[in-house]
Amino acid sequence: MPKCTINGKEVEVQPGQTIMQAFHQMKEEIAYYCWHPGLSVAGVCRMCMVDIEGNPKLQIACNTPVVEGMKISNRTEKVKDAAKWTLDFHLINHPLDCPICDQAGECGLQEFYMAYGKYDPEMAAPKQKKRKAVDLGPTVVLDTERCILCSRCVRFTDEVSKTHELGIFSRGDHSEIGTFENKPLDNKYSTNVVDICPVGALTSKDFRFRQRVWYLKEFNSICNGCSTGCNVKISYNQMGLYRVKPVYNEKVNGHWMCDEGREIYKPVNLDRRLKKARTNSGGKVTEVETASAVRQMGELLKSTVAKHGPDSVGLVLTGQYTNEEYEALISYFVKDLKSKKIFHWKNDPEKFDEFDGFLLRGDKNPNTAGLKKSLDAVGIKGDWKDLEPAHLKVLVVAAPENQVVYPDTAAKAAGFAKIPSVIWLTPTRDTNYDLSQWQIPVKSFAEKNGTFINAQGLAQKFKKGVSIVHDAVSLEELVEMISVDHVHSHVQAEARL
Amino acid sequence: MEVKILTEHYDKDEYVTLKGYQKNGGYEIIKKALKMKPEEIIQLVKDSGLRGRGGAGFPTGMKWSFLPKNNEPRYLLCNADEGEPGTYKDRLMMERAPHQLIEGMVISAHAVQSKKSYIYIRGEYTYPYKVVEKAIREAYDAGFLGKNILGTGFDHDMDIYRGAGAYICGEETGMISSLEGLKGQPKLKPPFPAVQGYLRKPTIVNNVETLACVTYIVKDGPQVFRKNGTEKSPGTKLFSISGDLQKPGNYEVALGISLMDMIQMAGGLKPGRKLKAVIPGGSSAPVLTAEEAQKAKMDFDSLAAMGTMLGSGAVIVIDDSQCMVDILSVIMSFYHHESCGQCTPCREGTGWLDKVVRGIVSGQGRVQDIDLIETVAKNMMGRTICALSDAAAMPAISFVTKFRDEFEFFVREKKSKVKGDYKIKGLSDAQVHH
Amino acid sequence: MFQLSKEGLSFVKKELTRYEDKRSAVIPALYRAQEEHGWINDDVIEHLAQVMEIPEAHIFEVATFYTMFNKQPVGKNHVQVCCNISCAMAGGRELLGSMLEKNHVGLDEVTKDGKFSFSKVECLGSCGTAPMMQVNDDYYENLDQKKVDEILRGLK
Repeated sequence: MPKCTINGKEVEVQPGQTIMQAFHQMKEEIAYYCWHPGLSVAGVCRMCMVDIEGNPKLQIACNTPVVEGMKISNRTEKVKDAAKWTLDFHLINHPLDCPICDQAGECGLQEFYMAYGKYDPEMAAPKQKKRKAVDLGPTVVLDTERCILCSRCVRFTDEVSKTHELGIFSRGDHSEIGTFENKPLDNKYSTNVVDICPVGALTSKDFRFRQRVWYLKEFNSICNGCSTGCNVKISYNQMGLYRVKPVYNEKVNGHWMCDEGREIYKPVNLDRRLKKARTNSGGKVTEVETASAVRQMGELLKSTVAKHGPDSVGLVLTGQYTNEEYEALISYFVKDLKSKKIFHWKNDPEKFDEFDGFLLRGDKNPNTAGLKKSLDAVGIKGDWKDLEPAHLKVLVVAAPENQVVYPDTAAKAAGFAKIPSVIWLTPTRDTNYDLSQWQIPVKSFAEKNGTFINAQGLAQKFKKGVSIVHDAVSLEELVEMISVDHVHSHVQAEARL
Repeated sequence: MEVKILTEHYDKDEYVTLKGYQKNGGYEIIKKALKMKPEEIIQLVKDSGLRGRGGAGFPTGMKWSFLPKNNEPRYLLCNADEGEPGTYKDRLMMERAPHQLIEGMVISAHAVQSKKSYIYIRGEYTYPYKVVEKAIREAYDAGFLGKNILGTGFDHDMDIYRGAGAYICGEETGMISSLEGLKGQPKLKPPFPAVQGYLRKPTIVNNVETLACVTYIVKDGPQVFRKNGTEKSPGTKLFSISGDLQKPGNYEVALGISLMDMIQMAGGLKPGRKLKAVIPGGSSAPVLTAEEAQKAKMDFDSLAAMGTMLGSGAVIVIDDSQCMVDILSVIMSFYHHESCGQCTPCREGTGWLDKVVRGIVSGQGRVQDIDLIETVAKNMMGRTICALSDAAAMPAISFVTKFRDEFEFFVREKKSKVKGDYKIKGLSDAQVHH
Repeated sequence: MFQLSKEGLSFVKKELTRYEDKRSAVIPALYRAQEEHGWINDDVIEHLAQVMEIPEAHIFEVATFYTMFNKQPVGKNHVQVCCNISCAMAGGRELLGSMLEKNHVGLDEVTKDGKFSFSKVECLGSCGTAPMMQVNDDYYENLDQKKVDEILRGLK
């Protein structure tokens, strides 16, 4: 394990690792554009030059292996001068788009200009003109003038998505990133190129022009789009959630996430949510306080069981909720109501076991494994075919957050029509539920603490990030509210948040 | 003054055919060489002090010894891309003596234990390509290529591959990329081609002329080779001489002769003209003033000591009828066009230099532009994947330093000190450059 | 839609196995397609991508990187005039200018009768016989105005 010194600090690395990896390991600051830990080394931006004692020429950190005893610095005048000039070269043809560029505030050029630049530009000749606002495909827009030709996006489509849509055409300062005309950037991982683009050359169609990044905060979470459980961070402010980006996790998703996962913030925002509990009696819809609705639901369940027996109440669960929620609600049904009528609603039974070999799975639920575990613990199989609407008087349904991946919602809702009381516990507003008697707003994944178990069996904890619908409750809170004295539990639930 | 070792039989038309080549002594040394051990040949080449004839002047024997001592298949690549402006010597050899190249390659292949070689020839050389291709077929038919050459057990296959118009493919790893079917963009070093080159296998890249020399070193030994040239630049070299001369052409001379002798050999200047400047080693070599040219000796180290280089041996003679600002604009336009675009300092710097010089030539130069050229050029050097950036920067610095008066005149008076208010009829300013 | 001729297809198929890696066949294939089609357009790229089973983006990169692949139509006689150092010093640019004027055509454009297009190119390796030009595959060296007029007149 070779040891070297970086800016006076000693660090030990794996044999064969580069100086850049050593910097990265130490979280020591170094300028770079084209290097990325998840892609091959290109060595083209020339920003990461370092001074190695005994070496008259500066070397690029990303392609120089660490040799035992190396003394490395990126703080010498020589390095600063090289970095300044290399940055200058990057900027001479770069358009002054900052006022309209999404990347402003998280731009590699701005960042390193503040660190190494701050010079008076001497370039007086006309800048190279190239194509702007090019529609690259369903998810990405390209501005070739802003592009600094770091080639990260090309390496991504060659090495990671392996779809080969992107290339760098022509040569010299006429070089342009792009796709071949008839083959757009259209793969299931395309938005990753927006993340890895250091500048505003590649922007997301979804996020474009919607918010300035300095008005956004981020919280970490686990994607609820499928059972892979990619680690993500979500940008938000008081107006809602704006976008989803991947967080590195060696075991689960590496540096990447899929395009479907980018959409998971949409059902969380207020415009898609059920804001208040509703009751529908004989066609008349009334909004009620959640606490009241929950209490009434509890009483209805208790009285139905008393009158018609435990088999007259049923519970439908999707794999969208946390381990903690499943334990609470299943325990309530099995122990308190003595009912074993619990059913597992899968999004698409035929595609359920599909896996594309990278990150996308057909099981569009983050916690199917957790649900199975909780059902196994009480010896219930939960097969859908065992659900007989004719025998039920009350059905509680813990609905999916993202109905897009549950194509049979309407059919299911229609199928429950014969049941006298259907209660939808749902984060999102869906007109298909309006036929039912009760709709109670529950928290989305972003609004609660919890644990998901992914397809690999890995339990991943996440924390609450925001509170969008104040009247929403988690299933844990719901159970607390109906299984203990109402006022007392409400206070306790609030305290726990 | 001319020493005709390589070029001895170039005046004979028959030399281009296999029979004609053999009639004049060809394909004899190969018989001797293939019976020798590879290490023996490498040692001869090392002892001869042969330095690469393509431009870098790297000791050939040393390059060959960088190959790893394992069983990986090796490739020998002949660099026939010849794109350095001013250079046209390899074209001469390929058009007049393709078998000389082939024999040198087979002997070299045996030395580096390579079973497969490629000649990478620039796309524009369509005629030499046909000549060499035919010669390769003749060599196969005669048993000098293929399996068990001359019954020695040495197998070697040779093929020829056309480039498609990119100066950067003359850079050894740019050439390798091009041969692999990619854009001709140079690769990061390390790893060096001898360790990981073509398709990540050990690869030796040598210039056409270098490979041809090997035959003669094996023929008469290092001491005879060293009879010509200097201690550190032994042997003869083909120089492509062009420009404002009476008899431009390719001349084979001993390394180390004086530049003035060389100019005389090429017929001297045109009547009534005076020498102004000389580019001694292709467009990448810093220019010499007439005064400097008086003292210059044409070998690797003498020229390096003067702050320039021998390079490919392309000597361009410039007389007092030429405008140095104009010539620099041609050179900068060339590098701007040829930068592969991979690394930022070169991609943007070559464009910047071109624009600034173009600005001066079109009468819109500013006073600070002259220093700017020097500053930009200095900051393009030593920071890129390959040397094209340095190759663009060095001439720029030398022109504005040594002929500053012409640049200052142009900026001030908005016309050339030599040619006045000169416009090229039919070509607008924009069209003169890209 | 462009399609290679039968011979062209068989040539490309052979090239795919001629070199160590099939990707090396891209340059020869582009040359062949250009011989048959005159220039490289999107149709050519798509067709080659299909025939060679190589992504379009990879072939397009190569086609746009190298100067000798025509990205727009050229004349029957594609006249490429060297304008680099020795040729510029010897008047190559002036000859090019006069060719454009005399044929009433712009740089890189095709004459109305489709017979000529004139381009400026870099050093062709013929500096000792400057000024010079390449018409399609052939070099014409030691030029002056008279010789140029004669040569162009003689071309079909």
